[in-house]
Amino acid sequence: MASLVIMPRQGQSVESCIVSEMKVKVGDNVAEGDILFTYETDKSSFEEKAKESGTVLAVFCADGEDVPCLDPVCVIGNPGEDYSSLIPGKEGAEPESIKVEVTVASEKQAEASQTGNIGVIEERLKISPRARHLAERTDADISKAVPTGPNGRIIERDINALLDKGLTLSSAEVAAEKTAETVATPVAVPEAEYEDVKIPNIRKVIAKSMHDSLSNMAQLTLNTTFDATQIQAYRAALKDNAESLGLANITLNDMVCFGVAKTILNFKDLNAHWLDDTQMMRYFKHCNLGVAVDTPRGLLVVTVPKADTLSLNEFSEAAKQLVSEAQSGSISPDKLKGATFTVSNLGSLGVESFTPVINPPQTGILGVNTITRRVKVVDGKDVFYNAMGLSLTFDHRAIDGAPAAKFLKELVKNLENFNLLLAK
Amino acid sequence: MPKSQFIDPREVLKPGKIQFKDIQVNQYNKTIEEEVKIYGKETLMRIYRDMVAIREFETMLNLIKTQNAYNGIEYSYPGPAHLSYGQEASAVGMAYALDINDFTFGTHRSHGEIIAKGLSAIEKLDDEEIYEIMKNFLGGKTLAVVEGKEENKGCVKDLAFDFLLYGALAEIFGRETGFSKGLGGSMHAFFLPFGIYPNNAIVGGGVPAATGAALYKRVNRKPGIIVANFGDGATGRGPVLESFNFSAMDQIKKLWHTTEKDGYNAGLPIIFNVYNNFYAMGGQTYGETMAWDMLARIGAGVNPEQMHSERVNGLNPLALIDAFQRKKKILLDGDGPVLLDTITYRYSGHSPSDSSTYRTEEEIEAWRNFDSIENYKNRLIDGGIAEESEFEAIQEAISKRMTKICRLSTDDDISPRIDLERNPDTIASIMFSNEHKEIMEEGREPDVLIPMEENPRVKKIAELNRYAYDEKGAKYPALRTYNVRDALFEAIIDKFYKDPTLIAYGEDNRDWGGAYAVYRGLTECLPYHRFFNAPISESAIVGTAVGYAMCGGRAIVEIMYADFLACSGDELFNQLAKWQSMSAGLLKMPVIVRVSVGSKYGAQHSQDWTALCAHIPGLKVVFPSTPYDCKGLMTAALNGTDPVIFFESQRVYGYGEQFHKEGVPKESYEITIGEPDVKLEGKDVTILTIGAVLYRAIEAAKTLKEKYGIEAEVIDSRSIVPFNYEKVIESVKKTGKIVVVGDACERNSVMKDMAANINELAFDYLDAPAVALGSRNWITPAYELEKYFFPQATTIIDAIHEKLMPIPGYTPTYNLTDLEKADRSKKGV
Repeated sequence: MASLVIMPRQGQSVESCIVSEMKVKVGDNVAEGDILFTYETDKSSFEEKAKESGTVLAVFCADGEDVPCLDPVCVIGNPGEDYSSLIPGKEGAEPESIKVEVTVASEKQAEASQTGNIGVIEERLKISPRARHLAERTDADISKAVPTGPNGRIIERDINALLDKGLTLSSAEVAAEKTAETVATPVAVPEAEYEDVKIPNIRKVIAKSMHDSLSNMAQLTLNTTFDATQIQAYRAALKDNAESLGLANITLNDMVCFGVAKTILNFKDLNAHWLDDTQMMRYFKHCNLGVAVDTPRGLLVVTVPKADTLSLNEFSEAAKQLVSEAQSGSISPDKLKGATFTVSNLGSLGVESFTPVINPPQTGILGVNTITRRVKVVDGKDVFYNAMGLSLTFDHRAIDGAPAAKFLKELVKNLENFNLLLAK
Repeated sequence: MPKSQFIDPREVLKPGKIQFKDIQVNQYNKTIEEEVKIYGKETLMRIYRDMVAIREFETMLNLIKTQNAYNGIEYSYPGPAHLSYGQEASAVGMAYALDINDFTFGTHRSHGEIIAKGLSAIEKLDDEEIYEIMKNFLGGKTLAVVEGKEENKGCVKDLAFDFLLYGALAEIFGRETGFSKGLGGSMHAFFLPFGIYPNNAIVGGGVPAATGAALYKRVNRKPGIIVANFGDGATGRGPVLESFNFSAMDQIKKLWHTTEKDGYNAGLPIIFNVYNNFYAMGGQTYGETMAWDMLARIGAGVNPEQMHSERVNGLNPLALIDAFQRKKKILLDGDGPVLLDTITYRYSGHSPSDSSTYRTEEEIEAWRNFDSIENYKNRLIDGGIAEESEFEAIQEAISKRMTKICRLSTDDDISPRIDLERNPDTIASIMFSNEHKEIMEEGREPDVLIPMEENPRVKKIAELNRYAYDEKGAKYPALRTYNVRDALFEAIIDKFYKDPTLIAYGEDNRDWGGAYAVYRGLTECLPYHRFFNAPISESAIVGTAVGYAMCGGRAIVEIMYADFLACSGDELFNQLAKWQSMSAGLLKMPVIVRVSVGSKYGAQHSQDWTALCAHIPGLKVVFPSTPYDCKGLMTAALNGTDPVIFFESQRVYGYGEQFHKEGVPKESYEITIGEPDVKLEGKDVTILTIGAVLYRAIEAAKTLKEKYGIEAEVIDSRSIVPFNYEKVIESVKKTGKIVVVGDACERNSVMKDMAANINELAFDYLDAPAVALGSRNWITPAYELEKYFFPQATTIIDAIHEKLMPIPGYTPTYNLTDLEKADRSKKGV
């Protein structure tokens, strides 16, 4: 009995994925567990493994193709087997996502004109060449356009309306389109002592996000250090007893994160989203703490939901799980969004100070630096101690320097008195 | 309607009868002795030679057509060959009496006439003149093929004989060395330097043109006469009958002299020479399809002179020579026109594919007994003028010559075709002559009655406001405003005082001043022969202008309503449009056809037929609707050498200049034909107008702006062919939306064509397909219902709303939905 392999849905918000590479072709024999294809969302990439052994009877997608979730990708079965009954869904499944637009479009259309019909007919988007060009130039998200042209055609003014509302395509979709274009026009390059490598989608997403962040916000960074004596001591104690107490391998970073989660709710401007569209600030009741992770594919930020409600151990375990998923590339895109504040650690790499870049629409990010030996005067005598650096970047649009500094000061106090914090 | 002629009821109502003079039939009866005395042996033998040359030429073509071979030369020729085998004497007899200045016009069956007139011309020109003509023709290319051959060395007339046969045959075979570079072919061959004017593939099509050539001779006092050769079948055609009347109309003798300084009152110098071979293809004119019994009778119905009509035995070259000499004298005495019923007979079919199913073998045999060449030869032998062997020698020499010419004409290296691979624009480059020629004949004072500044209309115009509004933006009263009529008048009268060849005519032009008073004031300053009322003969009006231009003149003719274009279809579409290119650019066609587009007068007086004219390659078509554009485009048309169909709208003759703020310049200026004009700038939607709908578009733009905040850009096409899309595309790049609007019925209209082109040229910039908006595909209803028919300002906004960009809050008046469109198309309305 042949079985259909579909594009898995990776999280509720994901409507389609790009096939990175089809690893099999028609006629190939596959064993259970063999990788059939790799695919990616705008945030991560995945492998789809064969759930059973057999022969690849059909392949519906090509490398780089944007495939709606739940659409068929390939069929595995016995040679010669009739699998046609498996794939009527191709036509049935696709309009599902479009039908929503149809309804919206026709309602709006009825208001705008009595003559028009609908924007999408027989799965074809009706859009004028002029509107399409404008959309391409501006990355406007055509799927959100309300057609007001004759017969439900999207015309120029509809794209302008999108742009007024800021409804542009997500970066991954743009990247996918651009990729297609690049492939279509190969350019003869003379042999050179360099290698041109296509920028991976995830890189493009990071690039866009970071560039947007720096170009749109009023970011600045405050640096400070704190005496890490107590957390180092506490960590040493934990390490010794981790096994017997069944605790996770709690790191210094976990402890800083824990400190942030417990401190930040008093500084609501830093546990917030700056919403450009609506000119609103969104304040969060809990701290969904983003933790930046260096993965083989690039920077990812995993989100530990409601970190302020977790014990140190709970936090550490949750974070470890997420980091491991991110590093293996199997993380659900849903776990990569929704953070209210982010912690990024370069201290393990010896960095003493840096300017972390905020993930919009968050208003702040804390950089954790390495530990250095410092001297302080205690009772008139010079005393050496281990100082850990903290770099807080905040969006000056959302919060002023003094309150931000106050957050840092309280965080420093809490970390220096970690034992007391644990009691909170 | 001249006031000088009083129509006296007492005279008109008197009892009486019309009396006819006898029409002579085959009265030639000279004896051979008399003939020898007149012509001498050499000429008589040359007449024989010329007839044999024609028969051999046609025999050669017949063999090539039917057997793909002639005297060992193999060649396949798929084109036309309407042979005059049997009619040779009629051609030679016709041509004999003609001089270089006498021009012949022919038909689809005129190879014989070309050879006969060519040989006649060669005989009359001296060697130097002939050589000069041959050397200068097409840069000597044609001459180079035949020159230097052993058999014609040292004898220019012999060389010219080869040149003539070769130029004609190469033309028939479509060779670049032919008389029209192979672009005319068998049915359109001609050679002006020998006085051979174009043949014509439309039955009777050449007759109005020949009449126009006679008009040229008469008006410009040029020496020579015109012979219009055509067949008996052509007398069934309106344009031919119109030409008879046009050439004989009373005014030429009765009125034209009254304004001439020297009282020159000659009739048109033209002989309508009908080769009456009894068959129009297969239809038998005598006894079946025509009513005249004897064709010469027609003359009696045309004018009191009965066109000096006569039936002549065209099988006897000497009878025909005699007739032509007598008739030519009548013309030179100023008493033309003349009609000749020249009896002849073709043995061959209409064309090689004709198996003569409509006549018997016996009939053909019976006519062979009257064979022109055999009988002529026997008569000379019987009269002791020459011996059989002399005739055989002539036959042999002609056969040899024809074999050589055939070989040269069929050799692709010697006689190449125009190379459309290497020069793909060759034909495109001759569709229009595009010359700037302000005066068609230099060095001659234009014939006028008073100095221009004394003209009452000119004086009146000088007082008018040349911009429609005063400083405060208020409109001047109509009577104080310079309008479209004045603009056209100014451009035209200016040219009348510069170009001596310019003439203007049409229905109700003189005295009345044209139905719309554009010409008011011309009567006072122009003699009759330059400006006259034409009969209600649209074919003759346009057709004569074609012939007038072929001879080197410039003419403005008027078609009172665009609806009447249909009455001059062949003359506009096959003659006026085609002759520049069919002659490979040798002929120029500086003719302006003024066409008035009506309204209010119902279905046969309100049609805009720009699309018909634009469809036919070879015509320039303009449709301006402001005084500034009318004057500039009329001046450009009058300074050019191409045929221009000049559409005018009756809706706007009285309109002042509303757009060109500096007013219409007093001095002469040109607007390049083909350049549209942005009349109103805007950024949201483009409206491209054709003709008078411009003003409704401006009204629509006003409403769009005031009520809906939409800024329309209005572009006036002004010209239709040629048309430069640059400005339109620029505008569409800006607005993304365009509606092309005009008053013509929408189906297959200029608007449709332009919209299609815009869709091709600007697809990537369009926000919706370009919309064509015209009138309904109906008859034009009564004036009170016209708003349902012609596009109105409202209709334009409806189209924008329905097809380009639905306007919030707008309710359309008319049903322009796709559903309605599909339904109308299904019903053909």
